[in-house]
Amino acid sequence: MSQLQQVKNTHYPLGYWQKVTLSILLIALIILPFADIEIVNFDPFLELTRMVDGLMTPDFFATEYLFQAIIQTVNFAILGVCLGLILGTPLALIYQHPIISGCCAFLRAIHEIFWALLFLQIFGLSPLTGILAITIPFAATFARVFHDIINQSSDSPLESIDSRADIISRFTYGKIAQVMPQLMAYTRYRFECALRSSAVLGFIGMPTLGFYMETAFRQGHYSEGAALLIIFIALIGTIRYWCPPKLLGVYLVIACVTLIDIPNVDSSLLVRFISQDILPSALANASRLAEVQWSSLYTWFSTLISEQAIPGALATITLALLALAVSHIVTLNAHAMASKHLWPTPLTWLGQLILLIGRSVPEYILAFIFLMLLGPSMLPAVIALAIHNGCVIAYLTVKQSNSIAPQQMQMSKLNQFNYHIMPSIYPNMMALMFYRFEIIVRETAVFGILGIMTLGFYIDSNFSEIRYSNALVLITCTALLNVAIDILSRRLLKLPKTSQTSC
Amino acid sequence: MITIDNLNLHYDKTAGYNTDIKETSTQVIFDLSLTINEGEKVAIIGPSGAGKSSLLHHLYQELQGNAALCSQRQGLVDNLSIYHNIFMGALARHHWLFNLVNLIRPFKKELSNVSSLCQQLELDQPLAKKVDKLSGGQRQRVALARALYQQQNIFIGDEPFSALDPLMASRLLETVLKRHKTVIMVMHDRELAMSAFDRVIALDKGHLVLDSQQHSVDHQQITALYQTSAVA
Repeated sequence: MSQLQQVKNTHYPLGYWQKVTLSILLIALIILPFADIEIVNFDPFLELTRMVDGLMTPDFFATEYLFQAIIQTVNFAILGVCLGLILGTPLALIYQHPIISGCCAFLRAIHEIFWALLFLQIFGLSPLTGILAITIPFAATFARVFHDIINQSSDSPLESIDSRADIISRFTYGKIAQVMPQLMAYTRYRFECALRSSAVLGFIGMPTLGFYMETAFRQGHYSEGAALLIIFIALIGTIRYWCPPKLLGVYLVIACVTLIDIPNVDSSLLVRFISQDILPSALANASRLAEVQWSSLYTWFSTLISEQAIPGALATITLALLALAVSHIVTLNAHAMASKHLWPTPLTWLGQLILLIGRSVPEYILAFIFLMLLGPSMLPAVIALAIHNGCVIAYLTVKQSNSIAPQQMQMSKLNQFNYHIMPSIYPNMMALMFYRFEIIVRETAVFGILGIMTLGFYIDSNFSEIRYSNALVLITCTALLNVAIDILSRRLLKLPKTSQTSC
Repeated sequence: MITIDNLNLHYDKTAGYNTDIKETSTQVIFDLSLTINEGEKVAIIGPSGAGKSSLLHHLYQELQGNAALCSQRQGLVDNLSIYHNIFMGALARHHWLFNLVNLIRPFKKELSNVSSLCQQLELDQPLAKKVDKLSGGQRQRVALARALYQQQNIFIGDEPFSALDPLMASRLLETVLKRHKTVIMVMHDRELAMSAFDRVIALDKGHLVLDSQQHSVDHQQITALYQTSAVA
């Protein structure tokens, strides 16, 4: 009798990752009613058939200056990454300083597009705008990731090196040499990201592939748009063939030569921008500190925060959380689709191709396409973010799961997958997911430029209304929000301490 | 040359992989006094966990800058070639600029020095080979070569021949003894320790239990030391 009682009382608590997963989905369900996700377009299928038609008949010769657009896309990416390396590598060595890491977190949190919008006011449509917009956030990212990689390397070589050797020799031989392959691999990955960012800068007018893509899609020239998209995916999918590390120097020279002319920077414009344009009117009109109308300054600031920053931030968080939940679902499916533990090898190639397409197309362009299909609401952004991030995470997880040896046990493929593969990769997959969350929040803000009412929407409108001071305050809010979310998610979750740097 | 007086060493468990805070540090060396004179060749023996490595690393720290260490952990850089790993021994002899250039394009003179050192250590592998492609015994000889390439007067070794066959071990030991004025080495092979060194020190559970300088040592005593420890 007592034994029976015991059996009845055996309760089996939820595991840590089960709880985390359930909370993500639950949070998404709770905020769902507050999100604006209706389908506004009356006839999405008409647009869809036209798009599919375009995809079937890509027109590679419709774009004038196509070659130049490709060159400029690559140029911005190469120069941006190289400058980012030059600035970021030294910072990586002093990154442990809280001021440095704080500044880097702040710079990193501002999206390339916002940097570009900012530089656009100073340099105009000069290549300088595009290059700097990539350089600054990339330098901050390199600083942090390189610092993490170097920190994870072993100290034991240093122990055996003669302590009288100078610090530079000890550091290069004992530390840098150890992690060089990781540093190279990460740089290569970031180059891929830079190509995406470079294309996306086209959406605000830089002469890259994105510019022609946007024009083609907006005008309904889907054959031309599809061709550009295919070229772009092929460009990213074949990086390792056209840009081996040995040729990087050659490309750098080519990039400098073929860069469209950099117009002279009008220094008076720069001075005006800093001393006049970005100041709120209450400050700009006052010549002395005594003349500043503090009350009007306060009214301006509080109105801005309550009417734009807070609603924008709420929309940003809502969108990001929904996207996280949907990304999770996409990741699980996409991973299963390309796993060699479930399918015969030729089928997994198909899955890999789908993953390549999913992760190569910038989420911004995906959102743009879904926006045409579904009309302006949060839904296109959620789908776009989920597809892109789901495919990135699935791509990294498939790499890991395909290297796991199957159990030497008689069981079906599905059982093998569920009982052996998934449990082994799940913590890592979730860790990737949360590292990606920072990126999701960052990207979310950008969808504002497509008309989704996130912080980016208000920033973009303020730029177009020439209210630079407002835009600057909102950009700062965006950056602070990202930093806060980053700190919070690190505190809340005990993530496995693996080197998830390639994310 | 070096004297230690009533040394007590603690091994901090929290600094290692064990992150449990309840575990406090354990003492590994108890009240140990020892003097080692210049020109002595000292072997340290004892059962595992006797505190040999801790004592050795302490001695290395005390002699900082004057001794070459060949540690059990090896500390090889897997991404570098045999040549670069061995060259690391010479970092202190050159300007950093020389070292950086050498990392990209090895200098001829250094290459031939390293090559002849490898020959002495019976390491017949291409110098450009990465060390992660080597076997355990080959890696151990690269670590040994790096320590030798420091060209110091004092050599401190922590079982530097444990992965080598006994004959090769005694040949290489001869090389090490010949190239250094003072040698302090933890030895795995008791017989070799007693035949090749002029002084043998035995540790057991953190205590100095035997010093051949003070006592005449017979084999039975040492065998007994290992046996009692194995039982306990």
